[in-house]
Amino acid sequence: MAIPINIPVRGPDATKPKRGAFRPTPDDASEDVRDKVLELEAAGEWIVQRVPAPYAEVTTKYGRLKKIPIQGSWHHKSCGQCGHIPGYSTSIFWLHRKLGLEYNDPRDQTSCTAWNYYASATSNSAAQAGVAMRNFAAAYETGYFPQIHCATSYGHYKEVRSELVHHKALRDQVRDLLRRMGRPFVIPEEIVHYSEWIYAVRHEIAKRTVLDLSAITTTVHPACHYYKLVQEDAIYDPDVYGGQRTAIVTAVVEALGAKVGDYSTWFDCCGFGFRHILVQRDFTRSFAVQRKIEVMREEVNPDVTLTHDTGCVTTLDKSQFAAQAHRGSVAAIPVMSEAQFAALAMGAHPYRVCQLHWHAADYRPLLEKMGIDWRERWREFEDDLERLKSEPGKVMTWDDADAAPVDPMLGPHPAHTAHGGR
Amino acid sequence: MAAATRERRVDVPFEEKASLFAEVQADPRFADYLYGCYECGICVAVCPSARFYDFSPRRIAQACAREDVELVWEQMNGEVWECSQCFSCLRCPRKNNPGGLVTIMREVAVRNGLHSAKAALEGYTRIIYKIMSTGTQVSPDMIRADAFPDWGPNAKETADNLALWRRAMPPETMHTTSASWEVDDKTLTELYFIWYSTGVMDMIRTLDESLHMILVDVMEEKLEEAGYPVS
Amino acid sequence: MLGGTVLIIGGGPAGLEAARGVADLGYKALLVEMRERLGGTPISANYAALTHGMRDAEEVLGEMVAAVTGHALVDVRLGTKVTGCAGAVGEFAVTLEHGGRPETVQVGAIIVATGFDHFDPGRASQQYGYYQYDDVITLQEAEAMLKTKQFVVPSKGLPPARVCFIQCVGSRDRHIGNEYCSKVCCGIASKQAIEIRQLLPDCKVFIFYIDMRMYGYWENEIYWPAQEKYKVNYIKGVISEITTKGDRLMIRGEDTTMNRPMEVPMDVVILSNGMEPSRGTKEIARTLGLTQNRYGFIETPHDSLDTVATSVPGIFAAGAATGPKDLDDTMGMAGSAAMKAVAAVRRATKAALA
Repeated sequence: MAIPINIPVRGPDATKPKRGAFRPTPDDASEDVRDKVLELEAAGEWIVQRVPAPYAEVTTKYGRLKKIPIQGSWHHKSCGQCGHIPGYSTSIFWLHRKLGLEYNDPRDQTSCTAWNYYASATSNSAAQAGVAMRNFAAAYETGYFPQIHCATSYGHYKEVRSELVHHKALRDQVRDLLRRMGRPFVIPEEIVHYSEWIYAVRHEIAKRTVLDLSAITTTVHPACHYYKLVQEDAIYDPDVYGGQRTAIVTAVVEALGAKVGDYSTWFDCCGFGFRHILVQRDFTRSFAVQRKIEVMREEVNPDVTLTHDTGCVTTLDKSQFAAQAHRGSVAAIPVMSEAQFAALAMGAHPYRVCQLHWHAADYRPLLEKMGIDWRERWREFEDDLERLKSEPGKVMTWDDADAAPVDPMLGPHPAHTAHGGR
Repeated sequence: MAAATRERRVDVPFEEKASLFAEVQADPRFADYLYGCYECGICVAVCPSARFYDFSPRRIAQACAREDVELVWEQMNGEVWECSQCFSCLRCPRKNNPGGLVTIMREVAVRNGLHSAKAALEGYTRIIYKIMSTGTQVSPDMIRADAFPDWGPNAKETADNLALWRRAMPPETMHTTSASWEVDDKTLTELYFIWYSTGVMDMIRTLDESLHMILVDVMEEKLEEAGYPVS
Repeated sequence: MLGGTVLIIGGGPAGLEAARGVADLGYKALLVEMRERLGGTPISANYAALTHGMRDAEEVLGEMVAAVTGHALVDVRLGTKVTGCAGAVGEFAVTLEHGGRPETVQVGAIIVATGFDHFDPGRASQQYGYYQYDDVITLQEAEAMLKTKQFVVPSKGLPPARVCFIQCVGSRDRHIGNEYCSKVCCGIASKQAIEIRQLLPDCKVFIFYIDMRMYGYWENEIYWPAQEKYKVNYIKGVISEITTKGDRLMIRGEDTTMNRPMEVPMDVVILSNGMEPSRGTKEIARTLGLTQNRYGFIETPHDSLDTVATSVPGIFAAGAATGPKDLDDTMGMAGSAAMKAVAAVRRATKAALA
């Protein structure tokens, strides 16, 4: 097993602006689709579900404020997360619970179907918009406000919103679809991604951390579908990257006290490809490893890379094995969402909550460096599994997840040393 | 892709190619996706597929802008499947959307049953089945070592312990293996209704008859029970 | 005398030439400038050599200022703004403010010469990180260095080995909303490229462009010598992002004529940032009730037959207050505006006497 190395990080202060921060003025704002959404409501075309109070106001690319509701979220789940990286979704729910925030986890929710759409085009505008609006109607009827877990869903819904706003025929067609299903025609005032919610509550999370992350170096990978689609609707913060790059994830990591290293392929796609990762993985693998992982390793050598999208976590996490097998033993860079990282920082169980056993790239050196005794935690989890095995149909509950005293300050078991021992 | 190559060499009449291009142009989104192009190359600079394949979003935009029916036909039968749909190309200063043009071109290819589309989606149909029938794109039971050998031993470990591991997580809706989360029956039925009403089922029939048959089996019963008209 | 004075707002090249023109025609010119110094943007932004004559900016503007300050018929008011206006051609009542003290003057015609501001690259639609990297600079920052007859890598203070220009920053862009071409940046970038090559013969210089806008004699006087004598490399393909690798900048683009993506290191990147209406132009348009076009510049008729008329009779505009203009345009417009302003005053005077 590779020994984690502590070498100086190049450019950890890359996020701090050299020339002062860029602050856009209201004059700079281009036409914003959200104005048109409200105009259509005034014209009786649809209902706009308002962001409930309490909400935070965050700045977006051209200075316009965006409302992020703090609680009362209808969790629009992600297929890839719930299916293959369940610790991601679990951590999002766990963070809401630890902050004492009420939410709804619906069964009346379908996938956004964007992965299939981008992969195969076996769908069309109307079906995609129909699926989106059906989900929004389902949320509206519960009184909770949608919080989107996947960045692909988020970007796709932003795209759907633009299409509905600009094409009356599509609007009419989808309205009719919903009417025949007995559903209202409603669109939320803001399309909110969970990572925007984490940004909004990052200081609350930071107050509740139990680990010292100052020795942890991270790299951040921002999801293409978060900030490249409908560019004006993404979080930009003058205190982060001088307001020149989206502040999502980075701002959270800094608030938690960890370092963020800059690398030259920051803007590159991870290589997910939608279709490629399923049936043409040589592209995905090559891209993820050569353009992202190896560049991060060479320029920063981070303890972990953090991202905020299902596809990106999957791609970066799963692509490293083949490269390792090919190139010989080079330490993997563990991959997880900032939700899981924040949860760990707040003392979440790495297996019951963060479900790290589903991740391929070795995360154990990271946990050790964070002061988490993963061997002890795994023993506890194995006990959980034994209990579950003996009672068919029994499932783990939220109380179980926080049950055993999780005191990371106890430190690693004396039989296992901090670095390299296994 | 032998069938696709054969098809390209077979003399497809110009009128057919022209009518496919006309279908692309007639899509309501086309005008939003293509303004003018001044060949600045920003889209290629940011495109991940351009680094790996001989793919160029600039050439896609230019072919469409010049109404080059022959070139668009070539692209629709090949290149368009190389696009990774990341939409980095939306940085275009003219606000063109080459990735979006690709989406339209793919839809037209699928709708018209082009061999190249079927070839590109070979091996993918199990995913279509999963999303259309269960309402989630992937599922825990898809992680199998034989399906993802390059994902490492972690894939096998997951597959071997799947049923147990899926009970060992707190979220109430996620104790599932055949779908990512528990989807209500009513919700599924609404999803089927959306596929039928928007012409997607017809698209599937053109793409893959046997897939269509399997899906129809699953869907029509539920739709009839719920009282939705099934065409 | 009934409004025999022509008011000129703005003391840059357009305003100076207009004032001199009015005075040479024998009429009183009242030249109002909000800064404490005449010369306009070439002086305040430290321009080195002017495009395309390559004469030193400070020297040229010095001559223009001298022609005006020495003239008996020109009344120069520095540190003064126009804050109000009433009346019509022949008898405008304009309120001036200097040091907080207002004063009303009677003028017969007005010439607006309030110019442009340089586009702030923080708003660029491509990822240039202008606020993050010291070595990514604007055209005017490059000018300021060239004026001191040197050119160095800002973060290191040493001469660069590789420098590039990125054209069309803030112009020709639907995301930003500035869909127009800023007209002068191709010429200025080529001029600066020549100056850098003159100072640093071992430095490789690149210009990344969409189209090279080298009208008329700029082609043979600037573009051809830049390539042929000074070996400046022109590459068609605009840069999409700037990051760093080690302690050097990395730029990414497509070399479109060679059909391949490229990623290369640079020591200094100069953003050819375009023109936007200045704050002064936007304010004066509101104060005088002048129609602005959708970009905020003062609107003049589009039929090319009258380049200086505004929506208000008797008020004329010259120079970059109306849109992107080069120095040739500006001098021509200033003369035309002076002539038309004087004609307007004479007509009004005649009509009053009749």
